[in-house]
Amino acid sequence: MNSLLSAGLILILGFVGARLLKLVRLPNVTAFLIVGMLIGPHMLNLVTPEIFTASEFFSNLVLGIIAFSLGENFRFDKMRQGVKQVMWISIIAALGAWILVSTALIIYFITIDMPIYPAIVLGAAASATAPAATVLVIREYRASGMLTELLLKVVAIDDAWCLIFAAMAIAVGNAMRADVFQMSIVFAGLGEIFGALLVGGILGYISSKLSRFIRTREELLIYTLGLVLFNVGISIALEVSVLLSSMMMGLVMVNMARENYKFFEVLRSVDTPLFLAFFIISGAHLDFSILYKMGIAGVLYVVFRTIGKVYGAKLGAKLSDAPKAAGDWLGLSLTPQAGVALGIGLVAKTTFPDLGNYIFTIIAATSVVFELVGPLLTKYSLTKAGEIVSTE
Amino acid sequence: MGTSDFVSNFVLGVIAFALGSNFKIGSMKKAGKPVLWISILEAGFAWLLVTLVMIVYFLAKQMPIHPALVLGAAAAATAPAATVMVIREYRASGPVTEMLMRVVAIDDAWCLVFSALAIAAANALSAGVFSIGVLMEAFLEIFAALMLGGMLAVLLYFLLRFIVNREEILVIIVGVIFLAVGLSMRLGLSPLLTNIALGIIVANIAKNSELYFETLRQIDMVFFLAFFVLVGANLEVSIIPRIGFMGLLYMAFRVIGKFIGVKLGALISKAGSNVGNYLGWGLVPQAGVALGVALSAKALYPRFGEIIFTTITATTVLYELIGPLAAKYGLKKAGEI
Repeated sequence: MNSLLSAGLILILGFVGARLLKLVRLPNVTAFLIVGMLIGPHMLNLVTPEIFTASEFFSNLVLGIIAFSLGENFRFDKMRQGVKQVMWISIIAALGAWILVSTALIIYFITIDMPIYPAIVLGAAASATAPAATVLVIREYRASGMLTELLLKVVAIDDAWCLIFAAMAIAVGNAMRADVFQMSIVFAGLGEIFGALLVGGILGYISSKLSRFIRTREELLIYTLGLVLFNVGISIALEVSVLLSSMMMGLVMVNMARENYKFFEVLRSVDTPLFLAFFIISGAHLDFSILYKMGIAGVLYVVFRTIGKVYGAKLGAKLSDAPKAAGDWLGLSLTPQAGVALGIGLVAKTTFPDLGNYIFTIIAATSVVFELVGPLLTKYSLTKAGEIVSTE
Repeated sequence: MGTSDFVSNFVLGVIAFALGSNFKIGSMKKAGKPVLWISILEAGFAWLLVTLVMIVYFLAKQMPIHPALVLGAAAAATAPAATVMVIREYRASGPVTEMLMRVVAIDDAWCLVFSALAIAAANALSAGVFSIGVLMEAFLEIFAALMLGGMLAVLLYFLLRFIVNREEILVIIVGVIFLAVGLSMRLGLSPLLTNIALGIIVANIAKNSELYFETLRQIDMVFFLAFFVLVGANLEVSIIPRIGFMGLLYMAFRVIGKFIGVKLGALISKAGSNVGNYLGWGLVPQAGVALGVALSAKALYPRFGEIIFTTITATTVLYELIGPLAAKYGLKKAGEI
């Protein structure tokens, strides 16, 4: 098995798997993840180590592309009144998941005589969503309408809230563990957000200005891909949020010139194989045996995160006078959870030597559940809201 | 396998696949004869001339002559990537361009045959036994590559019936090219030939094959760019001074051989004087296939392989730099840019 053969199998089996699982009406994202699990190291082992090594590079590129495209949804001339709704819904849905998960876990941890700070960190992780899966479901079923538009904006910005919450949670967790509240952790979290907005904003501005040197469509593609990679690379080097900086870059570019839609359009024409490979490789990383380690805490996390998102979105919609369908269905479509939450898990692992591993395991295990079930719920709620016309 | 190997193997696969689209049966009825004549003669003459000159050189140096045979065979190869890029960039079109694309596509097959012959002959010279086995293996390799390409073409054609949108065409084509390259490497076949066969058969069996090739053309520039930047980053310019008198002879007579072969081939097959005069310029680039021959020579002859390898790598560096300029010049002269 060489890496080229492995790459070919990933693409072809991903396509075949998606077609087959379409027969039982599974969304492509879920199908890719399942194919990934089948060919991953825990089962058929058709993915070479080289591809695993490259998968970090690759997933950063794909997340960069997705976040960049999400920025396209924030055209100022089109969203005067939408801002309030997006803000309220995203904040309260994220907050709802945090508060409910934390409360439930605090009670549980008290009853089993465990320190309670992991509950606060886990709650913060619960506020994260996974834009990639959501975007893919929307695209696959050509969903469109008020809910879809709102959803695309909410998944784009709620990572910002999640990052703030996570920074606060880790600072609080540290304070409870070591009796020192380090304000610097909170500032670092804020820095990660504002740094990202700054990086993405500056790059977006410069590259929109420089884009007049593009002559052909081929050059446009090279330029756009290069730009996304460059931005991701800088964000990683400066340790700011890759998702937010990419989103910001898209946002700035879409608002700078009318013809800038071309950047997003050219990416859409090529990103399908990238997304497919991304989810297959994510699936290959999924380890089912971790589900056994989830325990009661994991179950509580899954249940209360879902409730928190659903009712948080409902409350947010009510407070911002959003249409009723938005309040009814938006929360459920926010259930996918993946990389952002895992990132918080990783930070917890390094920050808390004693219980960090426990936190990480629960996040990883619940991510397996939400990655597989989340897309189904997103599809379900968009269908219920009448924004997916045909599921064929 | 490093990342740059991964990229370059894939890109060569993409290029070879795209070259296959030039072999539609309809158009080949007319063009088949000149393509065969020109490609065999240009590859054959490059082999012959380089071998002869090298034999004279080695005799003068009182060295054994069998490395000359292998060097000549390596000279038969051309590098499609650079030529195709030049054609694309300047949107060249016309009879010379069309013929050139077909010739660069198939002369690698001749190069494989020649190098197998050369290695067998060189073995005979050094050990006194001519093994027909080596030659049979070469034919088998070509045949197997064509078969593999054919089978994958059928797979591709079959899968394309299930696509629901244009974007999925890309998934399948890229996936099958990966499979073609990966399987060829696994089975010890030529990835170039497999992908050319894949492209030829797809071009001939799929109704809207133009759409498929076009879909790939929309994105391949990204890979080409990455490919040539990586090639550039891997070029060891410091090796150029070691090219020596031998390398210069090799370079000169390879090109002379190609020009004579093209002219003769065009004359015999009545391909027109434009083709005869200018097509040779597009055949100057030399890269992967020649290096492959050099590598197997190095493995076969521990003693002389080193000379062969150094000569070929050094000349390849120079050819990579000069080749695209030559191709552009030739196409311009032919009035197709």
